[in-house]
Amino acid sequence: MPGPLKRLYRRWLARRLPPARQIVLSQKRVFIFPTGYGFLYLLVAALLFVGGINYENNLILSLSFLLASLFMVAILHTFMNFSGLGLRNGTSESGFSGGSGALQVILFADQRTHHSVRLSWPGQSAQQVHVIKGEECAVWLNLSLPHRGRIAAPRIRVESRYPLGLLCAWSYVTLDHYCLAWPRPVASDHCPADGGEHQHSVASSGQGGNEEFQGLREYTPGDSLRKVDWKGYARGRGLYTKVFAEPAGGRLWLRWSLVEGLPEEQRLSVLCYWTLALDKEQAPYGLELPGLTLAPDSGDVHRWRVLDALACYPEFD
Amino acid sequence: MQALDKALAQVGRVVLGKEEQLKLALACMLARGHLLIEDLPGMGKTTLAHALARVFQLDYRRVQFTSDMLPADILGVSVFDPETRQFSLREGPVFTQLLLADEINRATPKTQSALLEAMEERQVTLDGSTRPLPEPFFVVATQNPVDQAGTFVLPESQLDRFLMRISLGYPSPEVELDLLAGGDLREQVRELKAVINGEGLVKLGRMVETIRATRELLDYVQRLLEATREDDRFVAGLSPRAGLGLLRAARAWALIGGRDYVLPEDVQAVWPAVAEHRLTARQGGSVAAMTQSLLQSVPVVRRA
Amino acid sequence: MARIYQLPTHTRLWLTLAMLLCSLPQLFRGPLWQSGLLVLVVVIRMLVDRQRIGLPGRTARTALLLITVALTFYSFGRLYGPDAGVALLVSLFALKYLEVVKLRDAYVLMVLGYFVCATSLLFYQGILMFFYVLACITLLTACLVGINHSDTSARAPQHLRTAAVMLMQAVPLMVVLFILVPRVAPLWNMQIGSGQVKTGMSDTLSPGEVSSLSRSSEVAFRVAFEGDVPPMAQRYWRGLTLSTFDGRTWRQGLPAGMSAQDYLVGANQTPPHWFSVLKKAALQDALHYQYRVVMEPSHRRWLYAMAVPFVTDPDLRMARDFRLVADSQVDQRLGYQVTSVPSATGAMTLTPQERQLMLTLPASVGPRARSLAMQWRRDADSDSVVVQTALHYFHNEPFYYTLNPPRLEQDSIDDFLFRSRRGFCEHFASSFTFLMRAAGIPARVVAGYQGGQLNPVDGHLVVRQYDAHAWSEVWLDGRGWVRVDPTAAVAPQRIESGLQAALDAQGNTASNLGLDFSGFSGASWFGQIKIWMDYVDFRWQTWVLDYDTGRQLAFLSRIFVSVTPMKIALALLVCLGLPLLLILGWMLWRRERHPLSQEEKEFNRLFRLVERRGLTLAPGTTPRQLAEAISDRWPKAATQALHWRQRYERLMYSALPGDKKKQLYHLRRLRNRLYKLLY
Repeated sequence: MPGPLKRLYRRWLARRLPPARQIVLSQKRVFIFPTGYGFLYLLVAALLFVGGINYENNLILSLSFLLASLFMVAILHTFMNFSGLGLRNGTSESGFSGGSGALQVILFADQRTHHSVRLSWPGQSAQQVHVIKGEECAVWLNLSLPHRGRIAAPRIRVESRYPLGLLCAWSYVTLDHYCLAWPRPVASDHCPADGGEHQHSVASSGQGGNEEFQGLREYTPGDSLRKVDWKGYARGRGLYTKVFAEPAGGRLWLRWSLVEGLPEEQRLSVLCYWTLALDKEQAPYGLELPGLTLAPDSGDVHRWRVLDALACYPEFD
Repeated sequence: MQALDKALAQVGRVVLGKEEQLKLALACMLARGHLLIEDLPGMGKTTLAHALARVFQLDYRRVQFTSDMLPADILGVSVFDPETRQFSLREGPVFTQLLLADEINRATPKTQSALLEAMEERQVTLDGSTRPLPEPFFVVATQNPVDQAGTFVLPESQLDRFLMRISLGYPSPEVELDLLAGGDLREQVRELKAVINGEGLVKLGRMVETIRATRELLDYVQRLLEATREDDRFVAGLSPRAGLGLLRAARAWALIGGRDYVLPEDVQAVWPAVAEHRLTARQGGSVAAMTQSLLQSVPVVRRA
Repeated sequence: MARIYQLPTHTRLWLTLAMLLCSLPQLFRGPLWQSGLLVLVVVIRMLVDRQRIGLPGRTARTALLLITVALTFYSFGRLYGPDAGVALLVSLFALKYLEVVKLRDAYVLMVLGYFVCATSLLFYQGILMFFYVLACITLLTACLVGINHSDTSARAPQHLRTAAVMLMQAVPLMVVLFILVPRVAPLWNMQIGSGQVKTGMSDTLSPGEVSSLSRSSEVAFRVAFEGDVPPMAQRYWRGLTLSTFDGRTWRQGLPAGMSAQDYLVGANQTPPHWFSVLKKAALQDALHYQYRVVMEPSHRRWLYAMAVPFVTDPDLRMARDFRLVADSQVDQRLGYQVTSVPSATGAMTLTPQERQLMLTLPASVGPRARSLAMQWRRDADSDSVVVQTALHYFHNEPFYYTLNPPRLEQDSIDDFLFRSRRGFCEHFASSFTFLMRAAGIPARVVAGYQGGQLNPVDGHLVVRQYDAHAWSEVWLDGRGWVRVDPTAAVAPQRIESGLQAALDAQGNTASNLGLDFSGFSGASWFGQIKIWMDYVDFRWQTWVLDYDTGRQLAFLSRIFVSVTPMKIALALLVCLGLPLLLILGWMLWRRERHPLSQEEKEFNRLFRLVERRGLTLAPGTTPRQLAEAISDRWPKAATQALHWRQRYERLMYSALPGDKKKQLYHLRRLRNRLYKLLY
């Protein structure tokens, strides 16, 4: 397709199939067209028709009519099998820019079972799924992350040829879904953090005695395991996390303002590098970006939150 | 509903410039729900609670929660009476009609959950004997904003027990001026006149149940709930209990508005107070803004 | 998006079954080695599927193909033509089955399967065959469902069920198409002969020929009358007239100097004079029979009908001797519509050449018969008296009607007339015609069938081979050709009630003669089944197989008074579109469990209107906000908007009992007023 036409087509598609968090394939969204085999089949029916006419054989004629009727019935069946299928956002798997992430798409079927549905998007081999009525089915689609930031989900082609393979019902689905691409870590000698007792290779691990025990709170997943009150757990009190009031001097703040003289992306990459470095050391650290401040903490969840913030910069929601 | 208007006017005398929040608090009471007020200290939380108690002639107790508070301190304990040689229950402060639980997030989770369980079940079980709490029974809990140090954040499951969460916020300059010019607030509260008594309040609460909600309205409520579940900006959608609460609050709101049927506006009015504290954002950001945006995006009347 | 496709295991069974069942009818026809090939292929495939052996490589498969081609050539002597072509097709089908690996292979196999099914219908057109083919198509469809069902946990019976459901839904459409789609004339002519020799009448008549036919109870043709059914004694189905005699055998003969064009009249040629006269005479006569004959394949060109048969079919011609002749051999069942006018025979003339032909006798045959005829001639004063005398002669002299006549000596006429006097119809017809010619009366032998049995279900007539008969026609001046049946003079039962009765009357029973009179005998359940089978067979033929342009027009003009292509197109559209729409509608209805109410639509209409007028509103706008937005933007509409809102809220949310219709009416009126105000 020539450029302008392609653009028009895209615009038309975008208008007709606007992105949404959840999409149910209604008849407005479903396109249907014979496949190559469908045309072959119609050709066979036509040949039989000609044969029936020529041999003046009404039975062969009936056979050709039967094939044609079956084709028409197949239109309905293909359509029925396809329409009513719902897709919605699942979770997403972030990754570093330049690498790849993954988006989870959840297919659900409220009205009927959908057989042999194929999902594909550019640069991704198709996946075939069956969605049983009343059930959900998750599909992971890989997504390459060319640059940092929010990588929007590409248009997904959903299609099904069930039951006869003579017709293909398809739709393009643009889910309002994105994958976060974290900055690519770039090593730097200078830790852009302040507040710590030493500027880098800080080991504020909660054992140094420089923190004041404040109390316990219920364990929530993502808390650093080092802070769990294991003694209490052993006594059967359940999982609690020790809460420390840390002296201000013990907290590390990774600050945007401390990475100076570098382009924006570079800055983020350095921050990313140090986030990973500090996380490896189990050191609690905070992050300060223009427009967002994340209080110091440690653990997987915190690391993800920091990385996500770096990915989202400069627009947080 | 003259009585309600009067009550509002009365409370409005001491809690200046917060009509909306007052109405919400009132609606919460009418809907027999508990109220959570989240604000910095000194914003008039206590005054509000106190005023409500006065206006409705309710038994009123205020408990300041601290970290070394134990469940027994709020529920009560069985004590051995040497004279009768029997254990008797010494009721805790929870046995009242209106309990102001100040700074509830300072207490340990254990104490918190003891109170919240009592709120939910409207009864207290101590040493095997169960005692009902008085009727009506309201809890107005206040909470400092989460970021404050030394607090135990109420877990989501507990937050669900509060029908509404409101925050009063800073007064406007004019109101603040009035406030500064006015006398002692405590004194004023003491001067408030009772409008209805507790029994009347219970009756009003029953009236709330009779407010009509048509199928179309229920549909709208359901769509709102559905939207929170489908919206992946939230960790989880609203529970069915929250939905029932929303409807009850909307009915109460309609009653305050003097109608015997619910309008979509009623639902929208109570929506932030009912929904916000029950929802958690997945990736940070303002839950308030997200909840509000749902009101914008969910059609009130079904579309084709 | 390239995928490595593996034929799903759950489809294998259907594929194998489909291949076997589709080929089966052709295996009966084809050479024996073809069955061997099929078995071989299935066994190899089974071993491959069980992973006992690998799939035969390209070389092996090519070798197999070459061997098959060679065997086909060996069996048929050629590789083209219907028989060899079909054999090759079936073999290819089997070989393709062997190498199905990819999805594409499976599709090619399906396509071949459809063609194989079609060829079965080419050779067998019975109703059972059709249902068999339907079953094959169901299997092929099940295969299609299977190969498109990539879920490995799918169950095989599920595919068959899906396929059966789809076919069930397709059959009504097929019927509609069958009835409505116009039949086009063949693009090029194709004839397929199954080449099987069947019993039937030959184009000559010599002693013993008809009697040998009588031993067969095969159906010769069937007749469905429209209106009157002629009585048994009048049902003379003429096939051939035989006018030259060599002393033993009667043959067809053309009078000298007559061109075939003048002798045979087709529908699309300018009719000769005699035909116009005949036609005119026929139009004046009220007594005529209308009927449809469905003939079994005879591999001859002549057809059977009662005298004088008029047809409209362009492929049929009428001969000067009141016969029907087809343009080509009847190799498949053939149906044709006839109007017979018995009395029109009188309008025919006899040319001198014809008279000459009809009087010719071989020189040295039958001297005694000749003298007998001469004597009758002398004694009688008119031709008809001679005819009567001859019939009396047959009746009074000891002639016997028998299926087992003794062999005749050298002179078949004299030997029969004066010595054996035992014969079957051909003996009587032959000698009677001889006598007439000898007496100077133009005469000819007519071969055909006489009688037939009525099927009690719908009253159609079944004429079997044992109804074969021969009689005479004589030319009487002023009356034209007159039918004379000498057999009737000897054994009247043959004409009145059929061969069986005649033989019974002569003291023979069918069983000791080794005859099979398995017509509609008796009221036993077996007899009943036969009657019904005959009925179904006949109706299948007349309603389905013979449904051609003419019948289509006739049928359709019963529905639409006049048939125009427009009407047919319309009917096709309605018949095909309506179910489609209904199903679609049903699906939509199912999707939207409760459709929008009138109240909801009312709001949406106003909402859209306001948006069209340039006000952007959030989807979550309440009725009240909508009304407020209107009053803000168009202050003059404020009052109306307020009224609308109040009414709307009351209707939608107050749940007060009231006349909803009236409320809606008011709402609509308010909205219409708003329409005008919003500018």
